Parts: sequence; structure tokens; C-alpha cells
Amino acid sequence: MIRREGYRIRYPSTPINRMLASIRALSDKRKGKYVLVAPATVMILAIVLFPLLYAIVVSFQNIDARTAVGTFVGPKNYLDAFRDARFLNALGNTLFFTGVAVTFELLLGFILAQTLIGHLPGKRFIVPILMLPVVIAPLIVGYTWRMLWDTQYGPINQVLGWFAGRPIELVWLANPVTVWPAIFITEIWQWTPFMFLVLLAGLTAINPEYREAAEIDGASSWQTLRYITLPLIWPVMAVAILFRALDAFKVFDIIFALTNGGPGTMTETISLYAYSVGFRNFRISYMAALTLILIAIVSVAITFLWRRMSADQERMA
Amino acid sequence: MTTSAYKTLAPTAARKRTWQKARTYAWRYALLVGALGFFGFPAFWIATIAFKSSSEYFRNPPVWIPASPNIAQNLDKVVRTGGLTSIGNSLIVTTSATLIALIVGTLAAYSLARYRTGGPNFAFWILSQRFLPPVSVVFPVFLLFRALRWVDTFHGLIVLYATFSLPFVVWMMRSYIREVPIEIEESAQVDGASRLRTLFSITLPLASPGLIATGIFTFIFNWNEFLFALVLSRTNVITYPVKLTSYFGPEAAFWGEAATVSLLATLPVVIATLLMQRYLVTGLTLGAVK
Amino acid sequence: MNAKKRTFAFSVVGAIAMVASACAAPPAPAAPAPAAEATAPPNPVGELAGQAKEVAASAVMTAMPPKAGGSAARAIELAKKYAGTTLNVTWEAGLQSQDPLLFSAPEFERLTGVKINVIETPFTELFSKAVADHQAGGGAYDVLNYAPTWLADLADGGVLEPLDAYIEQYMNKDDLNDLHPTYAKYQQWKGKTYGLWDDGDVFVMYYRRDWFEDDKNKADFKASYNRELTPPKTWQEWDEVCSFFTERGKANNEYGCAIQRTAGNTYLWFYEQFRSNGGRFFDEDMRATINSDIGVKTLTDMVNANKNMPPGVEKWGFVEVLQAWMDGKLGMIITWPPIGRWSEGYGLESKQLEWVPKTKVAGKVGYAVSPGGHSELAVGFMLGVSSNSKNKEAAYAFIQWLTSPEISGQRVKIPFALRDPYRMSHFNDPDYAKLWPNAAEYLKVLQEGAATGLADLGIPGAREYEEALDRAITAAYSGGDPKAALDKAAEEWNAITERIGVESQKAAYADWQARLGANAYP
Repeated sequence: MIRREGYRIRYPSTPINRMLASIRALSDKRKGKYVLVAPATVMILAIVLFPLLYAIVVSFQNIDARTAVGTFVGPKNYLDAFRDARFLNALGNTLFFTGVAVTFELLLGFILAQTLIGHLPGKRFIVPILMLPVVIAPLIVGYTWRMLWDTQYGPINQVLGWFAGRPIELVWLANPVTVWPAIFITEIWQWTPFMFLVLLAGLTAINPEYREAAEIDGASSWQTLRYITLPLIWPVMAVAILFRALDAFKVFDIIFALTNGGPGTMTETISLYAYSVGFRNFRISYMAALTLILIAIVSVAITFLWRRMSADQERMA
Repeated sequence: MTTSAYKTLAPTAARKRTWQKARTYAWRYALLVGALGFFGFPAFWIATIAFKSSSEYFRNPPVWIPASPNIAQNLDKVVRTGGLTSIGNSLIVTTSATLIALIVGTLAAYSLARYRTGGPNFAFWILSQRFLPPVSVVFPVFLLFRALRWVDTFHGLIVLYATFSLPFVVWMMRSYIREVPIEIEESAQVDGASRLRTLFSITLPLASPGLIATGIFTFIFNWNEFLFALVLSRTNVITYPVKLTSYFGPEAAFWGEAATVSLLATLPVVIATLLMQRYLVTGLTLGAVK
Repeated sequence: MNAKKRTFAFSVVGAIAMVASACAAPPAPAAPAPAAEATAPPNPVGELAGQAKEVAASAVMTAMPPKAGGSAARAIELAKKYAGTTLNVTWEAGLQSQDPLLFSAPEFERLTGVKINVIETPFTELFSKAVADHQAGGGAYDVLNYAPTWLADLADGGVLEPLDAYIEQYMNKDDLNDLHPTYAKYQQWKGKTYGLWDDGDVFVMYYRRDWFEDDKNKADFKASYNRELTPPKTWQEWDEVCSFFTERGKANNEYGCAIQRTAGNTYLWFYEQFRSNGGRFFDEDMRATINSDIGVKTLTDMVNANKNMPPGVEKWGFVEVLQAWMDGKLGMIITWPPIGRWSEGYGLESKQLEWVPKTKVAGKVGYAVSPGGHSELAVGFMLGVSSNSKNKEAAYAFIQWLTSPEISGQRVKIPFALRDPYRMSHFNDPDYAKLWPNAAEYLKVLQEGAATGLADLGIPGAREYEEALDRAITAAYSGGDPKAALDKAAEEWNAITERIGVESQKAAYADWQARLGANAYP
């Protein structure tokens, strides 16, 4: 197949062809590889990194709705942030939200994946329906559930009322006891399918003989799970958890639609607070500081992800 | 099989096993029916609201099936209030951004896949952009766009969406290109084809399923984007999520319009996803899980 | 003083004088319905409903021909110079926008050739997008629709164009005097005019006359409370009456009262009750005093009042209150003026109000100012010109036309426009007074509400103060300690004040008090 001797086509020497030839030549040379990555790199640098650097400068100034030209105020905004009860509250809420949501999504996703592993008639029709929530816009999910949770006009209280035998008039999104569960159920509705799909892929990749062997050896189903399935699926699970956690940490759309952070600031997350500081109150420098704190926190998680994925990469390479 | 050997040896155990199996099936189906109900119900509900009149969705106790299903009334209001225009805007922004990201991203991916340009750190640096919280980026971007006068322009939003799609495209296309055996490319090059020609006439056709999947995913991510649009849209480029927020005001709740826009905006995404099922997990985990 | 006297005169002489004076103006030839009505003898209810329909229909069709030399006519003259240009106009999204979309914009284009592009924006974004646009270099908007409390911020931030020169040159000055004196106080900031008033939002207490007039209710109430059953004049009475009706009707899903309590606007009812109780926002050093004993008592009372209201009221917005009220399930509500019109079924046949529930309370509704004697002049709307607009004259022409006596008089009668009477010519409009049997009483209460009403706190940072207070209130509704919540809010208020500058805020607050006078604190 491989011919040792090639030949090159000679193009007439027009300006366009000369230009094309130089592009071809570039891509043939060692430098060509840099030319190929250049547009992407330039875009990321210009649209993400350059503004971020500018934000660092702004975060040390005092720009707001009334002061368009800032003066240098040192680390004041950062110090303010750590004294800002509302920011700390939002930070706590965000961590709480991430922890609880990811845990439940993992558990439910795993149960669903376990249920669907192996032969099951009708599986071909069930899986596509279960996976749909992940591709729907989170804002639509939020508004949809807002209508579902409605005290008067939503079906949830109605259905609960049927079971209770009396009208249920829970104010899901304003009651301090139910507001988080309502948010979690909404979030879990959208993202459990993600866990489920990823774990199903992981479980399917496990050779069934391992489990069968364990069962033959008299292992209980719990032991099989604990000592066979979990260790085998852990690499996949870890990636799924990291992905979900990073996404849950920046939650905005769903809570924006459901409660917008209320009642009070009970369900306010960092993204909502930062948005409100920056784009409702126009405390521009302060928002820049919040933004950078947020990036610092996320970077830690990204580093973890990097370790895991670069290990995968080495295996691939 | 080993299990059938056990069956013949111990009939009681086999019966027990069959019984167990039946019980497991029952459990599994019960669980799945529950899951289907849970995951399907909101879709059903939003669809019924789109087909209800306002006096019907504001009723206590709620009506499940509209007496005379009619989406025209809500559709009419959606058109009048600019809901359809907003979906059109979303289409323009999302499609353009996706195409740009695919072209620019694939070139970079090819370089990364074949030359390991910049080493693994560079590749990961590109990927890490995907995980930056949008709220932390939107603000600096707002400042930049303000200086460039790109706020509320199609090109502004398109460039932003394209840039934010790059990490995904680069990462995905890199792994799809890697799957194309390098020998095929080498043989083409020996035949005198340039690198670019090889990429476009040999590598990409072979990686085309991956390219299409990546494109559809990029489209979906951009289609669903809300925060950037919320901050950067004023009058010209109102995308459908931004429009949706205007149906929930303090003096009125336009559920019918909101449901109709939601439905219209979700249908294409759902259809695309059903067609791309096979690639869903890969796409959602950036190829970390296949 | 002058303003007070005039208001007094109007309320005493009543509708008759107004009808006479309004009839003196020649009825517009192209609007036969109002003209016919003006000469018609008093009508039975059924016929009135038909006429209301007609008025609504004619109002929707075309703008009244402007009076020669009036502000509307002069605005049209001015705008004609700009025929072919397009103005971008922000407006609150949804129902509010139906007025410009279906009436004002097409009519203005027909009359002047200037195109109006209505940009529907959620209420809270009306402020932030205007500021963001200005900071972004501007030009996206020509006309800004904004809440009066934002005027200080928008003016200080350079977002709004001063209008004095335009008013001087183009407005008929008599039309300035036609504005209700209370609303006229709002249009200035630091000596310059930054907006034209466009919506007489004032809270009204609506009550079910039939419930109050019921003999058994009267007797039972007297037995329990040892006084007559009358529409409440104090918050204490409000609670008693509400509790009484709730006790009585709970089994039938009927409740004594309801007020929207969902996050966003619930601070308005605190502003109202707090100041009726004698509360003040700041002390002389500009330290927040919303957490004073009066503040804590007010919030505690508000939280307790919720117990007599329908379950879930903490999440009720305008729509939920409306739904239950129209359904005949509530004895008293305090809310914006449109509900009074809709209660009588006025304009409900129009397509835009199709979502408004059918009324079961027509003919059974009474009106009063809020308990405590002062109604909140809640939110309202003003129209201004963006300082970044490239068509300032055209933009100004549009808002002068919109707010002119003729056009605004028409708009306050368009059922879905959600614009409430704010000019003397609106309060005195004989056609309006005949829209339903006790419409005259409705207008009288709106006018009284405007005269004795309380303005929202309108100093720089208004939106931030409101948000902080609103959060504290919703936290208290869902079980938080009122004192702790208000302490936190006061702390946030002080932080806002310090950030903006204590001295400048002190001056702004003094200016606000001086301008609004008795409409700042009773």
C-alpha cells in the first residue's frame, strides 16, 4: 500500500496559489502545528484570559455605579468579601448544594444504572426517556418545576393531597423546611440521568464474569457490590463526581428560576450573589473580587480533575 | 454455563433462583416505572400547560388534561410578544458559534492530536477553560465587550459562545482524530497530499461521526446557555432563555407563553439527542468515559 | 398647601363639578362613545357594562385627536420631523407592555412616522439594563421606563437626560399643572427635571361591601369585638376584621384578607405600615432606623397577620391575590389600582386580559385608603430620555405625547394598559366615573390616596435598600426572628449608606423629605 515514491502537483504560480502553497508549506513544517492551534489560543486568550487579567486590576479598585473611574484601594474588596456575611452564607449554601445534590444524584444514578444493567426487555425504550433531562436548558427545567411546585396551581400538592386525604397547601418555595428539598428534587431530576448514563456505561464495561464468579463463591450481593463492582467502577465514578461537582458549584439557572435565592438569602448561591452584586447593584470592583475568589476555589477542584484525566491520557498515549 | 450446571445439580436451588430472578425483574420494572413517571411527568405537565388557556392553568385544583387542547392561542401570544423571534435569535447565535468553534477547534485538535503541541499541560489548559464558572467570566467579558461596543450584538455573543465551546471541541476532536490510524494519513502524505489536505480529505471523513456528535453537543450547550445572554443582551439579541424570564414578572405570570416557548425550544434538542444517543456519555464527560 | 387645598376642594365638590368642567371641553369628534355617554342619563348596570366595552374598544382603536396647541399636538408636530427613525423604548415585560405594543407604538407611528420598538424587560432589569447600557457606551435605548425611586441613581449616574429645556420649548405648561400635585413632586432631582410621571400607582384597600353589610356578620362581630363592623381604619382593626372573616369562612375556603407576600415587592407594605405607625427610615446621622421598636412591631404584626391569610400567602404574588379575590374568596385586599377595575369586569373581554379570572365580585366591592390612613404610592412609573440616545428630541416627543392629558387620559382607560389615573383631568373624567356604578367612588379614593399617600424612599441606592429590606421581610415570613432580620437589614442599609457616602446621602435624604413633604412622612 505504502508507496515510497510520491510526486507533487505543480500549480500555476498565481498569487492565490502562492498563498495556498505557503499555507501548505506552513502546515508541513514543524511550525505548522503552532499555526493550527493559534486561532483557538488567540480566541481563548482574548475573550477569557485578557478580561480576567483586567478583572484582577479592577478588583483592587473601587468602581461602582456612581464611580466610573476607579482608584487603587488595595486588597480592600477581598477583605470585605471575607467579612461579608452574605457572601459567606452564599459560599456555604453553594457547598451544601453541591454536596447534597451530587450525593443524591450519585446514589440514585447508581441504583438506576444497576437496575438497567444486564438483560432487560424494553431497555431500548427506557434509556432514551431517562436521559432526556440532561439536554434540556436548566432555565426551562427551573421554570417548569416552579409551576409544578406552585401551592395552588401545581400538581405536586394536589397529588400529595390525594394520598393524605386532605388538601395539602405546602408553600414549597417559601417554606424554610421545604425550599431546599424542592430545589434538590428539581436539580436531581435534571442531573441524576447524567450520573446514571455515565455509571451505566462504566458498569457495562465491567466484565460480567467477575460478578458471576463472586456470586458462585457465595458472596452476598452487598459483598459483590462492595468488593467487586465499586472498585472496578471507581475511576468512572470519580470522573462523574468531579464533573457534576464542578457544574453544581456554579449553579445559577435553576435557582434563579425557582427562588432567586429566597426566602431571605436562604438559597442564595455564589453565582446568584455575584450576579446580584455586579449586575443589579453595579458594584463592579467588588464583583471582580468575588469572581476571582470563586475562580481560586474552582481551580483546586480542576487540579484534581487534571490529575485524574492526565493519568487517563498517559494510558491512552 | 456455570449457572445451568448448578441448576441440574440442585433443583431446589434452581427454583429458588428462578423465583429470585422473577422477583428481581419485578423490582427492576417497578423501579423503572417509578423513574419513568418521575422523569417523564414534568415534560407532560409543561406540554399540557402549552395547550391550556390561562383560565385553565390557573385553576385550583389543577386540571391535568385540557378540555379543548389548543396551542394556537398560546402560540399566537408567543409570536406577538417576540417569543418566536427570540428562538430565531438563539438559532442564529448558536449555529454560527457552533460552526466557528468546530472549524477553529478542529484545527487545534488536529495539531494537539498529531503533534502533541504544547504537551499535555497545554491541552489541559484549554480544557480547564470549560470549568470556569460562567458568572466569574461574564463580568470581565462584559467589561471587554463594553470597551469594544460588542454588547447586544450578534457577533459579540457568537464570538463569546464560540470561544467557550472551544475547550469542548478541541478536547473531543483530539480524541476522535487520535482514533484515526496515523498510518492512513502517512500513506496519503507519501502520495503527496499536504497536511491540511490530509486533514480535510482523509482524517475528517474518517472522524466524521465524532465531528457530527461534537457539533451537536456544542449546539446543545450553546442553545441552553442563559447567563451570558442575560448579561449581554439588550434589544437586538434576545435569546429564548432571556425571553423566558420576561414571562415571569411581578405583575403577571404568563405560564402558557413560557410553556410554549419551552416546548418549541426543547423539541429540536430532544430529537437531536435521540439521534445521538450513542455519543451522549462521551460528550457529557468530554471523552473521559466512553 | 396649595395642593392640599385643591385636593380638598375636589373631594368635597365631588364628581359633579368635575363632570361639568370636563364637559365644557368639546368632545372629540372621532370618539363618539364618550361623547354619547356624557349626555346620556344615568344608566342601569347592564347598560354600563356594554358602554365600558365600547369605551374600551374605541380607546384601543385610535388615539384621540389632540387638542390644538396642547402637549399632544405639539409632540406630534415635533416628532414628525423625525419620521422614519426608530426609537427603542424599554417597558416592563408582559402585560405592562401591551399598551405600547398594541396602542401607543402603532398610534404614534401612524401619527408621526416615528417607529417605536418596544423592548420588553423584566421589572428589576429595567434599572440594571439601563445602567449597564449607559456604562457600555449606550445607545441601545432612547426612552427609559423606570420606577420613580430609581430617578436619583439614574440621574446621578448620567443615564437620564435633563428635560427642562425640552419642556420649556415644547410642552403646554397648563398640562404640567394638570398633574396631581403629589406626583408633580417626583419629577425633579437636584433642581432638574429628569422624567415625566406616567402611572398613578397607589395602594387601595378593596373590601367586600356585601360581607360588611351582612346583618349576621355585623351582629356577630359586635358581639365579639364590642364595636361596629366597619372597613378597618387602623392595622389593629384590619387584623380583627380579617381574623373574624377568616374564622367564619375558613371551612368554605374563604379568608378575611390577603396581601401579596412573595419576595420582590413585599417591602412596599412594610414601607406603608411602618410609616403609618410613625416609623422613620433614618436618624439625623443617617443611621438606619428600620429596626427601631416601631419597625420590629410592624414586621411582627405583618408576620402575625399572615396567619389569618390563606395558606401559602408567603409565596403569593399579584396573580394569586387577584385569582382568589376575583373568585370571591377574600374579604379585603390591599393592592394596586387595576384590580378595582377588573373586579367590576371592566375590560375583561379584551384579549390581553383573557388571563384575568372572571369576576364574581362585581358590584360588591368597596374602596378605601389603607389602614393607618396612608396608602403607599407603590412603585409607579416614569418616562425619561436616555442621555445616550441619538434621537433625544424624538424620544422626548414620544413621552410628552404619551403623558399628555389626552393620550394619558385614554391610556388610563385602556383596560390592559395598567396605567392608573394621575392627572386631575383623569380624576375628573366624567367618562371614567361612569365606567361602572361606583367608579366615581373609586376615582375619589385614588385621588385621596395620592393626596395622603406615602412615597417610596427615593434616594441613591434605593434599589439596594429595597432589596435588603425585602430579604429581611421574607426571612421573617418564613420563621426568622423579626428583630434579628431587621437588625441585619439595618446593618446592610448602613453599609449601603457608607459606601455611597454618608454626607451625600444625608443631603439626598433631606432633599427627598423636603420635596415630598407629607408624602414622605405623614
